Amino acid sequence: MITLPTEPLGLLALAAILVPFGGAAAIAASERASAKWLCQGFAAATVAVIAILAMSLLGDGKVGGTFELISFGSVSILGLVVDSVSVLIALAVISIGLLVAIYSAAYLNAGNREHPDIGRRRFYAFLLVFIGAMTGLVFSSTVVGQLAFFELTGACSWALIGYYESPKALRSAAKALLVTHVASLGLYVAAALLFLSTGTFSLTAIADLSPGMKATVLLAILVAAWGKSAQLPFHMWLPDAMEAPTPVSAYLHAASMVKVGVYIFARGLMSAGGAPEIVGWVGSIMAVLTLVYGFFMYLPQVDLKRLLAYSTITQLAYILLALSLSVFGSDLAFKGAIAHIFNHAFAKTLFFLVAGALSYTAGTRLLPSLRGIVTKSPLLGVAFVCAALAITGVPPFNGFFSKFAIFAGGFEVGAHHWALMLLVVIALAESVGSFAWFLKWLGHSVPGKPSTTMAAAAPLPAGMKFVLVALVAMTVVSSSIAASWLG
Amino acid sequence: MIPLSLLIMSLLLSCGGAILCLLLKHREGDIRLGGSGVGIAAALAGLGAGLTAIGAGQPAVLDAAGPYPFAHFVLRLDPLAGLMIAVISLLSLVAWIYGFAYVREYAGRGVGAMGFFMNAFIVSMMLVVAADNGFWFLIFFEMMSLASYFLVIFDQDDEAVGAGFLYFLVAHGGSVLIMAAFFLMANQAGSFDFAAFRAHPLPAPLDSVAFLLAFIGFGAKAGMIPLHIWLPRAHPAAPSHASALMSGVMIKIGVFGIVKVGIDLLGASAGPAMLGWGLLALAFGAVSSVLGVVYALAEHDIKKLLAYHSVENIGIILLGVGTGMIGMALHQPVLAVLGLMAGLYHLLNHAVFKGLLFLGAGSTIFRTHTKDMEEMGGLARNMPWTALSFLVGALAISAIPPLNGFVSEWYTYQALFAAALDGTPLVKFAAPIAAVMLALTGALAVMCFVKAYGIMFAGAPRSHHAEEAREAPAAMVAGMAVLAVACVALGLLAPLVAPVMGRIAAATIGTAPVTLAVGATLLPGDAQQATLSTPLIAILLIAMAFLPIGLKAVFAAKRGGDRKVAAPWAAGYLPDQHMSASAGGFAQPIRMFFAPLYTMRQAIAGRWTGIAHGFERVVTLARRTEPLADRSVIAPIAGAVDASGKWLQIIQAGDFRIYCLYIVAALIALLALAV
Amino acid sequence: MLTFSHLILGLFQALLLLAAAPLVSGLSRMVRAKLHTRHGPGLLQDYRDIAKLLTRQDLTPPNSGFAFRSMPAVMLTTVLVIATGIPMLTRFTPVAPIGDLITVIYLFALARFFFSLSGIDSGSSFSGIGGSRELTMGVLVEPVMLLSLFVAALLAGSTNLGAIGSAIADGHVRSATATVIAALSFAYAIYIELGKLPYDMAEAEQELQEGPLTEYSGPSLALIKWAMALKQTVVVAWFVGVFLPFGSAPEMTVFGLLFGLVAFAIKLVLIFAAVGVVENSVARVRFRLTPQHSWVGVGAASLAFVFYLVGL
Repeated sequence: MITLPTEPLGLLALAAILVPFGGAAAIAASERASAKWLCQGFAAATVAVIAILAMSLLGDGKVGGTFELISFGSVSILGLVVDSVSVLIALAVISIGLLVAIYSAAYLNAGNREHPDIGRRRFYAFLLVFIGAMTGLVFSSTVVGQLAFFELTGACSWALIGYYESPKALRSAAKALLVTHVASLGLYVAAALLFLSTGTFSLTAIADLSPGMKATVLLAILVAAWGKSAQLPFHMWLPDAMEAPTPVSAYLHAASMVKVGVYIFARGLMSAGGAPEIVGWVGSIMAVLTLVYGFFMYLPQVDLKRLLAYSTITQLAYILLALSLSVFGSDLAFKGAIAHIFNHAFAKTLFFLVAGALSYTAGTRLLPSLRGIVTKSPLLGVAFVCAALAITGVPPFNGFFSKFAIFAGGFEVGAHHWALMLLVVIALAESVGSFAWFLKWLGHSVPGKPSTTMAAAAPLPAGMKFVLVALVAMTVVSSSIAASWLG
Repeated sequence: MIPLSLLIMSLLLSCGGAILCLLLKHREGDIRLGGSGVGIAAALAGLGAGLTAIGAGQPAVLDAAGPYPFAHFVLRLDPLAGLMIAVISLLSLVAWIYGFAYVREYAGRGVGAMGFFMNAFIVSMMLVVAADNGFWFLIFFEMMSLASYFLVIFDQDDEAVGAGFLYFLVAHGGSVLIMAAFFLMANQAGSFDFAAFRAHPLPAPLDSVAFLLAFIGFGAKAGMIPLHIWLPRAHPAAPSHASALMSGVMIKIGVFGIVKVGIDLLGASAGPAMLGWGLLALAFGAVSSVLGVVYALAEHDIKKLLAYHSVENIGIILLGVGTGMIGMALHQPVLAVLGLMAGLYHLLNHAVFKGLLFLGAGSTIFRTHTKDMEEMGGLARNMPWTALSFLVGALAISAIPPLNGFVSEWYTYQALFAAALDGTPLVKFAAPIAAVMLALTGALAVMCFVKAYGIMFAGAPRSHHAEEAREAPAAMVAGMAVLAVACVALGLLAPLVAPVMGRIAAATIGTAPVTLAVGATLLPGDAQQATLSTPLIAILLIAMAFLPIGLKAVFAAKRGGDRKVAAPWAAGYLPDQHMSASAGGFAQPIRMFFAPLYTMRQAIAGRWTGIAHGFERVVTLARRTEPLADRSVIAPIAGAVDASGKWLQIIQAGDFRIYCLYIVAALIALLALAV
Repeated sequence: MLTFSHLILGLFQALLLLAAAPLVSGLSRMVRAKLHTRHGPGLLQDYRDIAKLLTRQDLTPPNSGFAFRSMPAVMLTTVLVIATGIPMLTRFTPVAPIGDLITVIYLFALARFFFSLSGIDSGSSFSGIGGSRELTMGVLVEPVMLLSLFVAALLAGSTNLGAIGSAIADGHVRSATATVIAALSFAYAIYIELGKLPYDMAEAEQELQEGPLTEYSGPSLALIKWAMALKQTVVVAWFVGVFLPFGSAPEMTVFGLLFGLVAFAIKLVLIFAAVGVVENSVARVRFRLTPQHSWVGVGAASLAFVFYLVGL
């Protein structure tokens, strides 16, 4: 049975999901020249919808609610959950989507020195489909809903990675799709087990499971999370996915799609109402292993986008570590993880878009040949610095505040288990190591006399400038927004 | 309320100044005028805030909620914070006055950005010392390092960027350790407020772990040996007025942190553990002071020399702080106040004379366009005011009576003496050794500054630039003059200043104040003990000076007028410029006698190249591991799928008759199953 | 506490030493002459030298500046101020705020600062090396001085020189052995500070032509010679006042002061005579090997420290 929600919160959430799909259909039916304007327009409309939703939720005292969409009797198949966490993440995803749409309009044209292009309709269509699918996943209240949107985002990712249609891009796209699809088996297993034990697909039913079954379901969700969030052992698709156009790398593979994994795990933990400790141990240990592996993989990278891909892997490992530590009883770690999802999205998007701006104007994103960025283009230099400092966690930029909460929570639970304290200390050490590495590249690339490649760079288009400025502002304020929103 | 309002006014003015510097992008004349004007106003307000906070009876507290639910934004102006704010404001006042003329050196290279970062630096320093919540303390601590990082790399050449990298890395590592210490304390206290930390002392081994983490973290910021490696590279790289701020104030915030954590936050659990902490501070202080000045002696670059001297003086401050902690541990309030007060007084004095010396060095570099002492010389003739100020600074830092450096070192000696008189056997052993090392430091410092002043300002000019040098611009001289007067005032007016320092120390420790001065005489807390009177020494020196002048006047009529000869005596040779003392030659005996200390430094540096090689191998290993997952997991699976697919292609024979056979076979099989 | 009469005593004592210093250096010259089996110039020769120099012209090297010209006055002034604080005629220090062992050591550093600075300022290579060596000797000697005095001060309970002297005179020291060894090591340090052979480093007649004194002439040279003679006298008086306070007046009475003066004069003459014998029996130590000698001083002072700690 299909029921439409009657309350404004539910309607707005549904609208936020459907408007981008409508936009994609409109683009398919229009001509190439208007595709980018339609994309920006529908993305802006979605931003308006989610803004109204956020304000209504705020007015409601952040209570929210769950709304059924499709159900057979007591079996809930598809539903919407509107609460502070889902609206926060949706806000991030949709607003970054708009910024990426504006950026792509300026990026995908003949002026691009690295990949001159004409801006095909399928790019903008799939971008909108992705926004819709991502919003759908964030608002989903059932495992089946999550699964459906999970696979949909995978399909969009496949289409967008292979956009340039070079052999390497097509291979990377296939690899990405297959690896994440194999990992999604975890979600299938979780859905099946949940239905068999409780007779419904609703996430809140996880709380009613026996401890052993609960652990199995959560671990299965965790496996799917590893795949989508490029954690060990499913990490190998993300660095190669950098074959995609840079706005796609920024949006899908830094701000949104990779957050799917951590989000479904967070949602699972929220719905479980007290998870068994085995889940926390498995999650923490794998997260720390991924952290250390990701850090070592920084060292040989000279391509800025690949470096940022591994940075994304390590930042997601931080979020998973925090979520796993919250199992042991630290609410601060959980809030820190959600805040980090929000903050990291903006910071990483900024960094990727800086990389894109460099390849647009200078024709390369290889760090050794990029020197003196700030002398040639002050805006790019400042953006580079803000992004690097935000990622490595230096105040007043946003990364520090969520990382602080994560480590505070880690120390809280580490006081009771020495093994957890050891993991937290390793994570702290990695944080300092990342800082050193990014500071090194910052010192190499940003100040000084411009290198020949940089000196020959073209000026930045207005669209890109606008987006970069907006993101720089967000790297400073997003932590206060997240903290006051989550309470 | 007055201290808080003045502080907030100062902060707002500084923020306004920062934004103003950015907005006035390329109008450098306006930036200089506006920036300096706003900066001076902000510094005066801050000075007022600091002084009123020192004098106030109760600490003023501001508790604003802020957006983070786990940490309120709390400011607390107790006397210690007031002292730090006063020091920051005094030096920033002088730096802005000086900078009005000095930033002409950086014309066209981003004067607006420099003003922005200077203001950000000052604001974050003021907020660090006033913050009363661990979370906000760390935020401002890191912002302080960030703002000064941009000042260090301002020249944007390889050396500056390398220096900045090392500096920020050590600072960040230190703040991570401080964060860990705060987490340990917060676990016990349940919140990040310092008030909660004070109310919930940590149990036995954990408090030493927290102190050790904080000691190393803040020690890295202070430039204590062995965490000093960033200092000699970072301070010379920054513009001189920024170096004055960094060396004069920022490294003191490292010591401030040690006092805050060791005495203020963990002080409630004063006991045998704190004795160990005090001895640790004493040991690191003694080693830092001797090694700092030994390495300073070997330098030709004036700013590097001054940077190493900062290491030395941090060591001396730590000697005082360590003695204060020992006094607290032994439950001897007089010793505790005496030790801490000596450390804080030296903190103030060092800020003043080190700031003065850096500004003096900046003036000489401004005019001679070189940092190398060996290319200066004879500058006292052409730059008399700079020379005089630098001489005052050199005398002060060598602890020559009756200037301020001597007063704080005298108190340090008296504190060590008192500890040696009444301490436990371990303290009785350690304190005199620390005093001897302090004496060694003093003697080496005298040598180093005779060399520095002599080579730079005395004798003949050693290069064309030195000959052509003119006096520094009026604003720069004014800045130096303010600090020189402060050096003399803090020395001669010590009977007025010492009780104030004592009150600050007593308030920080939480005991009753101790008598430190009677009339014009200074006491180490006990009238039976020795006394000191800087005004008396000054008066006697001036009075006795008439005697030699009078003696010279005898027979003045009989002798001929004073005459300048053609050349100094050089054993019959024609004297050459290179025959006079050089910086390297002057310090050569020390390099010879203390050779093991220098070879130790080289040996350690040699280790680093070994580590760098190891790092290269790690990078190669990582590069080879990267495609492993692809090659060993994805490729075989893909290959297997491909191979099985190709094998299954046998079914697709292409002949439709075979396909009909498949249909028939399937039908038969299904029928057989159904039956 | 400091009273007006004490201040007058201090000034009197400083002026007395100022007047007597050339006599003491004359004594050293006569001892040397007699050991060389010469007649010698007479005890009052230094007075005649100073008077003669005062009538000569004052020549300064080119490129010398304020430091060079002011050094004689600064040095003489500083040593005079130190002289007011050392207990000589009395057990207590006349001017207590100056009679602190730390203050005295650092006031000597003031004199040394300007002495060496003038060496660089004159532009002469000999003066420069002399200044460098003077400072190096300070580095080697000051720690020994401080340690031995510190041990004595710990035994007496105060860093005031008069208090230490009184405690030793009254026998109120916990460990006699430590006091004796401290006295010996301080005496050794004082000997090096005197700048007499074998530790004649800064002026090194055979090597450096009087070091920082090379370029001085006329009244400036007169003042420096006077100041150096006075410094040697004050340094020995320092040793006498702390470790050999026997005979000085415990109270400020006329008879006590006279008796103290006579006792002080006798001690001074005896010590300078002994020093004279020693300095004329040895050759100058090679500069490179000086640390080996100062390590002996460090060792002795450390031994005193150990005895103090143990309490024997």
